[in-house]
Amino acid sequence: MTFLILLIKASLIYGGLLVTAAVMTLAERKISARIQLRIGPNRVGPGGVLQPLADGVKFILKEEITPDGANKGIFRLAPIMAAVPAMLTVAVIPFAGETVIFGLDFGLLSLTDLDIGLLFVLALSGLSVYGVILGGWASNSKYSLLGGLRASAQMVSYELSLIMTALTVVALSGSMDLREIVEVQNTGNPLAWNCFTPVIGQVGLILFVIATFAETNRHPFDFAECEPELVGGFHTEYSSMKFALFFLGEYCAMTVMACLTTVLFLGGYSVPFWEDAPWMVELATFMAKTSFFLFLFIWVRWTLPRFRYDQLMNLGWKVFLPIALANLLLAGAFISLT
Amino acid sequence: MVVVQRRELTFWERMYLPEIVRGLVITFKKMFEPRVTRQYPEQAMPTTEVTRGQPRLAVKDDGNIACVSCGLCEAACPAYAITIDGQETDRFIEREPERFDIDMLRCILCGFCEEACPKEAIFMSNELELANTTREGLVYDMEQLKRSTSTLQPRIDYVRKINDRW
Ligand code: SF4
Ligand code: SF4
Repeated sequence: MTFLILLIKASLIYGGLLVTAAVMTLAERKISARIQLRIGPNRVGPGGVLQPLADGVKFILKEEITPDGANKGIFRLAPIMAAVPAMLTVAVIPFAGETVIFGLDFGLLSLTDLDIGLLFVLALSGLSVYGVILGGWASNSKYSLLGGLRASAQMVSYELSLIMTALTVVALSGSMDLREIVEVQNTGNPLAWNCFTPVIGQVGLILFVIATFAETNRHPFDFAECEPELVGGFHTEYSSMKFALFFLGEYCAMTVMACLTTVLFLGGYSVPFWEDAPWMVELATFMAKTSFFLFLFIWVRWTLPRFRYDQLMNLGWKVFLPIALANLLLAGAFISLT
Repeated sequence: MVVVQRRELTFWERMYLPEIVRGLVITFKKMFEPRVTRQYPEQAMPTTEVTRGQPRLAVKDDGNIACVSCGLCEAACPAYAITIDGQETDRFIEREPERFDIDMLRCILCGFCEEACPKEAIFMSNELELANTTREGLVYDMEQLKRSTSTLQPRIDYVRKINDRW
């Protein structure tokens, strides 16, 4: 019975993640269209809602090309390495509290609650850099290699700020368990959310959001693909479903990072002024908060131009890291004072 | 040598984040502005008599075209798109084309054929769409080129007006 429940939970959560990724591809195109005063895809299904399906079919039907001189094994491995870590991390995200569907007790709505949930997420999302650099290297193309190198350098430098900022939250809530972190914030009073901790919360939120942008290779930090200089960056040589996997990985990573930001700073599934809300309300709240960050990903992409590579590194090492460290220090002082 | 004086950024601007927020506000507002996309096949571009579309042969009220297969348009065509074979006819005009082909893939829509024609037989229509799966299918013969005078009337009037100036 427990196994069955786990199975249902897993399929629900992974189905949800993949659907979110699919919806994100559509939302990306629709919102970018709106910002540029266009209409966007509107031919497949009413208003274009079936576009992701059409894209999927197209991806599957496309010819798969492996370039001559590519390292075949690694070339195949790279997309998997890019997509799997992003999908694994969703396992520890707490979506809602005690859940009962049709009289079936699902327990707490998350696949598993690890004591070190945050560490698990950070470690796995750090792994996704392998997919990018291996893909770039195995393609045997200079553009891919450059894209892969840039991406890995960038991810490594921003991971540091990301972890430092996450540590601030760990210090504030005294736990690495994501559900603990949410429960500490879930007091019915939205001011208990970490983003409302004076100064530390706001600085932390901004740093964390920017670091997630760099971590997921999104605009304005998408040097891994950087079309004008590198053709398509690390996935220049990829086609068909392999390319789709990279894409899927990117959108899953975005979704997970949005979830993580919600959990760490916006109180996860805690509903304002309603401490013991039923799970449906909690889930809806969680989704609403996450959607905002997902929207932000797209919104920023269609607003800002791309950074220059040296600016990115400067920003990462000379601005973000010191601020993140100072913030952590401040958090320590704050905790010892209260 | 020109030295470009760049404006010193104010402290507020160098903080970067406020400016980003300003940009975000602009793009957010843009989302609610009317959209400019034209849904092409459903909302075609409006055409006027000045539109120089593909050349067509005007069919007169008696069902014939005015063309006497003089070959002037053929000679005037810079793209060698027109091919005409003439033949005799019992009608008053004595000659008519046996074959009148325009290769629409060659035609550059320049309108020289229309200008060259002494008989007001060929006119630039407002038809702009051109699609087929073979090249041969886009070589239009006489039957495909015929259009009733009424559909071409605005263009005919326009061409006469221009010719009146000379
Ligand atoms: S429009 Fe120009 S190119 Fe086309 S058939 Fe007439 S003369 Fe030739
Ligand atoms: S110039 Fe006019 S009359 Fe002469 S062949 Fe061409 S269409 Fe016919």
